[in-house]
Amino acid sequence: MSEAPPELTYETANARLEEIIRRLDSGEAGLRETLDLVREGRTLVEFCAGELEAVGQGLEELRLDELVARLEAGAAGGGAPT
Amino acid sequence: MADPALDRPAGIEGSELAGPFAVGEYAARLRQRLRSFARVQVFGELGNLNRGRARVYFELRDERGALPCSMWRDDWEKLGLAPGAIENGAQVVVGGGTDYYVGSSTASPSFTFHVTALRIAGEGDLLAQIEARRRKLAAEGLLEPQKRLHRPVPPRAIGVVTGEGGKARDDVLAGLRRQGWAGRLVWGFAPVQDRRAAPSVARALRELAAVGDVDVIVVARGGGSPVDLMAFSDELLCRTVAHLPVPVVCSIGHHTDRTLLDDVAAESCSTPTHAAQVAVGIDCTRARAGLARAAHRLDAGARRAVLTRARHLAALSRAPAEHIARHRSRLHQIARELRAIGRRRGSEETTRMRRRLLVLERNVARAAGADQAARRRDLESLSLALAAHDPERTLQRGYALVEDEQGGVLTSAAEARAAGRAALRFHDGRVRAKIEE
Repeated sequence: MSEAPPELTYETANARLEEIIRRLDSGEAGLRETLDLVREGRTLVEFCAGELEAVGQGLEELRLDELVARLEAGAAGGGAPT
Repeated sequence: MADPALDRPAGIEGSELAGPFAVGEYAARLRQRLRSFARVQVFGELGNLNRGRARVYFELRDERGALPCSMWRDDWEKLGLAPGAIENGAQVVVGGGTDYYVGSSTASPSFTFHVTALRIAGEGDLLAQIEARRRKLAAEGLLEPQKRLHRPVPPRAIGVVTGEGGKARDDVLAGLRRQGWAGRLVWGFAPVQDRRAAPSVARALRELAAVGDVDVIVVARGGGSPVDLMAFSDELLCRTVAHLPVPVVCSIGHHTDRTLLDDVAAESCSTPTHAAQVAVGIDCTRARAGLARAAHRLDAGARRAVLTRARHLAALSRAPAEHIARHRSRLHQIARELRAIGRRRGSEETTRMRRRLLVLERNVARAAGADQAARRRDLESLSLALAAHDPERTLQRGYALVEDEQGGVLTSAAEARAAGRAALRFHDGRVRAKIEE
């Protein structure tokens, strides 16, 4: 029985990215390891950038009462015979 | 001095009320009347305690009302209360009566219950009630569930429960801006001003969790008296939060206030601005800059690794020819040096040996010449000494030597008797003899 891989979050991705950069900066990694780390790092950068992009597009303000009213209207409309 | 009666204006036309009276006159009469009220004992929760230079001011409150009180500082000191013995929230019994400060054209009037005696009533006050609830919820393990919830950082959607017209709303927005966060924000407005706020806040929280699709909820309210903040120590509200599947970050009152919600929530903050920042979790602006730097460092790392490897390989490819040439030159040099050393050493050794031989020959010749005559003289002297002690010459003079049969010399008569037989050695031969005695 194998465990499912942990879900990637911004925090875990960022922590792994810092780890990769520390390893690269140490100069101890060989060429093959370096290239593998860089490839993994680029994937993580893309993921983190996506997460930050999602909260950088501009504030979208909603009112809970409007959301609730919309849902209730939707439920009433959906339940009514046509 | 002006006579107030002369300045008195006409009254309101058609009014049946007495007057008009000058306000100072009326205030003095009011004070007189209030002071005539029965002096009584009143109990309640002490709040807004303010120790002035001449007087100590505070309020007494319970769930149905409040009374502004004051006490002469001297009377307060006479109570002999230990520091910290009486603070806001303490349940007290006071004795005194109503009074009225009439004020003046420059000083504000005020109504007060003038306290002349005070006693601390002990537990049973509002804070004690909150503490009792806190212990109860803690015993049920309800202070922990919120702390165990995962908080996505940065959250994509944030819910906020606060008063619609309150300053806390602006503070939350300021906190979000400070973190560079501009995602989806769902406002769950609810009254947060009085004790009836609790059910509204609880409903807003439930709805935000259910339909708001938010990752975290901020509950924010500015400062207020313990009674004002009592709503946030409501047991049902706190139970709602404890069971909420969405983490709640709260900021209720000032940093000195502590409501039950502060204990139940995932995180408790001192200001709404701070609560918003904590809800976001990271400074998104800095994180974006950091990510750009990380990407650059990854590229640099890759480039550096490839370049280092390429330089190493190039060095290796040049190495064999260079090494052989370098070693050949060195070997030739060493060979030349060895030959030179060999030649120099050979000639030096021959010369040295010859010198040594000469010295030895000279020593031998010198030693031989000097000692030869002396040794000859010693030899002649030794020959003469030997001749003088030669037994043969004694025998030639007529002596005989008595010997036993084995040739041993017998030197006494006793030895001769013991031997029984003997031989006599003359210079010309040996004859046997028999010892008869």
